[in-house]
Amino acid sequence: MKIKILILALFLSHPSMAQLERKLADGSQKEELIFHAPRHINLLTVEPLDKKALHFAIMHTFGTIDGGLQDLYGLDNGANIQFSFEYGFSEKFSLGAARASTDKVYNLYGRYHFFSQTQDNKTPFSLSMMGGAAVNTSNYSFLNEDAPDLMDRTSYAAQLMLARKFSEKISVQLSPMMAYFNDPRALYQIEGDQNLYLALGFSGKYKMTGKSSLTLQWIPNLNNDLRNNLGVGIDLEAGGHVFQMYFVTSQALNEQYLLAGGNGVAGEKFRLGFNVNRIFATGKKKRAD
Amino acid sequence: MMKNLIVFFFFAFLVTFSFEMKGQTYNTDKGRAEFLSKAALNEFTGVSDDLNGLLDFEKNSFDFFIDLNTLKTGIGLRDRHMRENYLETKKYPFAEFTGKINEQVKLEKGQSKLLNATGTFKIHGKEKNMVVPGKITWISDSEIQLEATFKILLSDYNIAIPSVIFYELSEEQTISIKANLKKKTVNTK
Repeated sequence: MKIKILILALFLSHPSMAQLERKLADGSQKEELIFHAPRHINLLTVEPLDKKALHFAIMHTFGTIDGGLQDLYGLDNGANIQFSFEYGFSEKFSLGAARASTDKVYNLYGRYHFFSQTQDNKTPFSLSMMGGAAVNTSNYSFLNEDAPDLMDRTSYAAQLMLARKFSEKISVQLSPMMAYFNDPRALYQIEGDQNLYLALGFSGKYKMTGKSSLTLQWIPNLNNDLRNNLGVGIDLEAGGHVFQMYFVTSQALNEQYLLAGGNGVAGEKFRLGFNVNRIFATGKKKRAD
Repeated sequence: MMKNLIVFFFFAFLVTFSFEMKGQTYNTDKGRAEFLSKAALNEFTGVSDDLNGLLDFEKNSFDFFIDLNTLKTGIGLRDRHMRENYLETKKYPFAEFTGKINEQVKLEKGQSKLLNATGTFKIHGKEKNMVVPGKITWISDSEIQLEATFKILLSDYNIAIPSVIFYELSEEQTISIKANLKKKTVNTK
């Protein structure tokens, strides 16, 4: 009897249909799309560019919304526009150039990605850094010999980015930041008067649907009494573009001016902001065969 | 006595098992799978060379699967969006096609043969039965090539195309596979 059962068991365990074991090609995959784009409201993120990919961002902020409908909620007043192009030289390193209309600032920056969060959590977060130098190219010739020279016009920024996707919905980035102005003149469109500015940026994303997220930016200053930057908005992915619309307390669009530029009171001194991100694959491989 | 019998059956089982697989089973883990999306404004393909496949001519069964994370369209961001928003590879990492070959296949040297396979195609957590025509070609005594092309509708698998990119992503996807399968002499299962 026992034997019969055993024989039966043996035959039953005989697989009737051969099946392959389902195995992932890469056991330790990178966590992807921690943020929708390399920019998140005004801050750069850990989101890397592919090799030979070109990221184009056009960013705007407008006047304060407290003028109401009369000023079309700030759209009539003093837009600041920044164009930026960032090119991926490798999966880890990219260089960018940006031009913001406030003080006609040209900014050169690089991003380097040390490591990325993995899905198996062996690497629990992504770490990247950014460094940049900017030149204010406004015309100050009316100052004659007091006009700032190139060094006086130069400012620097550095930022570390630590980011983690906590769940499919929630991603957070922590960004210790510094900005340094060689000569922070009152003439420039900044509120601060010191050379060095330190701050800690928080960027948050809450994914609502597959293609849209609520976004948050908060940048408390660490070594000065300027108001802190606050931004809230929404990110929308649409056919290769990432649209970012937000309310923010500062008109600044580059890191130096974000830290030194001063902020309005959150609420009535909010400004509308709008970014369009697009990534072009310039080195698209011709397919083999 | 009983012990001996058990041992005997155990070995008999092992022997019959490996014997029936021997020479009848072909497999690969480097097949090519490709999809073509042909929408009004945009046409693109995604390719992977990590197609895993098993053909068993003894049982006339087959089993193919692919890790969807290995599909590349040539644009990294598009790949990431595809994985995160459409295929949802974290939840559903594989596309699978498993079933039976409809006819008995005898392949002579240098020959090609058309055949039909009936099976279950599974992607994005949804299954659908389908019949897929394919072609197998003799490459060598220990290698055959399999080619097949079929179409799927994304809506059959609950993959929604948002209206904003309706013109860029096609509802109908043409899938082609091409794989060289080698005769398996050692039974691994």
